[in-house]
Amino acid sequence: MPDFLDEIAGCVPGLRRYAHALTHDRDVADDLVQDCLERAIRKKGLWRPQGPLRPWLTRVLLNIYRNNLRDRRRRPVAVPIEDVAGELSVPAAQGGRLALAEMARAIDQLSPEQREALLLVVVEGMSYSEAADVLGIPLGTLMSRLGRARAALSRLTEGDEPKLRVIK
Amino acid sequence: MRHGEPGMTESDLIAFADGRLGDAEHKAVADYLTAHPDEAQKVELWRQQNAALQALYGAVPKEPLPTRLDVHAIDRRLREERTAWRNFAAAAVVILAVGMTGGWFGRGLLISGPAASDPLVAEATQAHRLYASEVIHPVEVRAGEAPQLKTWLSKRLDRPLAIPDLTAEGFSLVGGRLLPSADGPAAQLMYQDESGQRVTLYIVPSRDEQETAIRWTSMKAGAGGLQALFWNDETIRCALIGDLPKDRMQVLANASYKQLS
Repeated sequence: MPDFLDEIAGCVPGLRRYAHALTHDRDVADDLVQDCLERAIRKKGLWRPQGPLRPWLTRVLLNIYRNNLRDRRRRPVAVPIEDVAGELSVPAAQGGRLALAEMARAIDQLSPEQREALLLVVVEGMSYSEAADVLGIPLGTLMSRLGRARAALSRLTEGDEPKLRVIK
Repeated sequence: MRHGEPGMTESDLIAFADGRLGDAEHKAVADYLTAHPDEAQKVELWRQQNAALQALYGAVPKEPLPTRLDVHAIDRRLREERTAWRNFAAAAVVILAVGMTGGWFGRGLLISGPAASDPLVAEATQAHRLYASEVIHPVEVRAGEAPQLKTWLSKRLDRPLAIPDLTAEGFSLVGGRLLPSADGPAAQLMYQDESGQRVTLYIVPSRDEQETAIRWTSMKAGAGGLQALFWNDETIRCALIGDLPKDRMQVLANASYKQLS
C-alpha cells in the first residue's frame, strides 16, 4: 500500500513538531514519533482508517505520549532556554512579544489536557473541530479547555512582573 | 456569537485571537474590543502567547529525516518481522485463515483455536452469562445516558474509552456497567438487535500490551454455545461475547475494534 505509506510520510514533519512542543526535547520527540509510526504501520494490515490520516496519527501519538507520562509519572523535562532559543525560527514580532523563556516554562505548568489542546490549535494550526476530534472531546469542552489554558498562561507570565512584561 | 448583546463569549474572543473568525464576525469582535479596552488587553496578550508559542515550536527541523523515522524503512522492517513470526506460527500452531469479503482482516489474521483458557475470555463470558439474560437491570447506566457512561467508564479505567456505535450493524446500545476483574475495573457494554439478541463487549485496561489480531474461540455446547472474539489494543484488552453466527460476530468485533482504537 504505497499510497498509505506516502500519506503517513507526509504527516511526519507535523508529528515531529507537535511531539517536540509536547516534550521540549528533539530526541524524546523523535522516539515518540517513531513509536507512533510503527503502531500506525503495524495497524495498516488490519485496518485502513477512513478520511485523512493526520488526525488519526496525532491521536495515536497522543495516546503513546499519555501512556509514557502515566508510566513514568513525570512532567516533561524543562530545557534550558539557551537550547530552545537556538532553535527559534520565527523572527520576533515587531509590536512586542513575550519573553520566550518564560513562555517555555509556563507551557510546562499547564495541565497535560490544556497543553495538548492549546498546542494542537496554535502550533499545529488545526481547526477547533479537528482538534476536538483528535482529543475525542466535544467542541464546547475544547473551547473551555483553551480558555483555561489561556488564563493559566496569562497568570503564569504575569506573576513575575520585571521579567515577564511584554517587551516593547 | 451573540450579536447586539453587550458581552462576547470567551470562545468568540479566543477565536478572534486565533484568527479563526470570518470577516463579519472578526469585525464585530474588533468593534467590541475597541469599546472594551480591558478585554482588548486580554486578547492582545493571547495573541502574544500565540506568537511566542509559534516562535518556540513552530519550526519543522530542517535537517534530513533520521532513518528511524523513514516510514518505508519501518514498513520493510515490520514486514520482515511479521514474516519471521508467521513462519514460526505456521509450524507451531494451526492457523485457520478466514476470508472475509473486503474486510480488514481478510488476510488470514483472524486466528481461531483452543484459546478459551485466556482469563479475559473466561471473565467476559461469566459476566455475559450473568447479565445478558437480565430483564430488569441488565445494565447500570442506560444507553440514554451514553455521554455520562463514556465519561464514567473512561475515568474508572483511567484511559479514554469510546463507546462503539454498532447501529450500522443492527445492534443498539443497551448500556454499560463496571465490574471487578483480575486486572482492575472492567467495563461491560451491552448491545441488542431488534430480536432482543444480546452481545456484550468486555473491556479491561492493559499496559504496553502487544497489539494482536482478533482471535476467536467458541465454547463447548455445555457453555451455551457462546462465541468469543478477543483482541488486545494499545491500552485495553477486549472480548466480544455472544451466541450469534460467527460471521455476524466478526462484523461486530470489526466495528468495535475500529471505534475503540
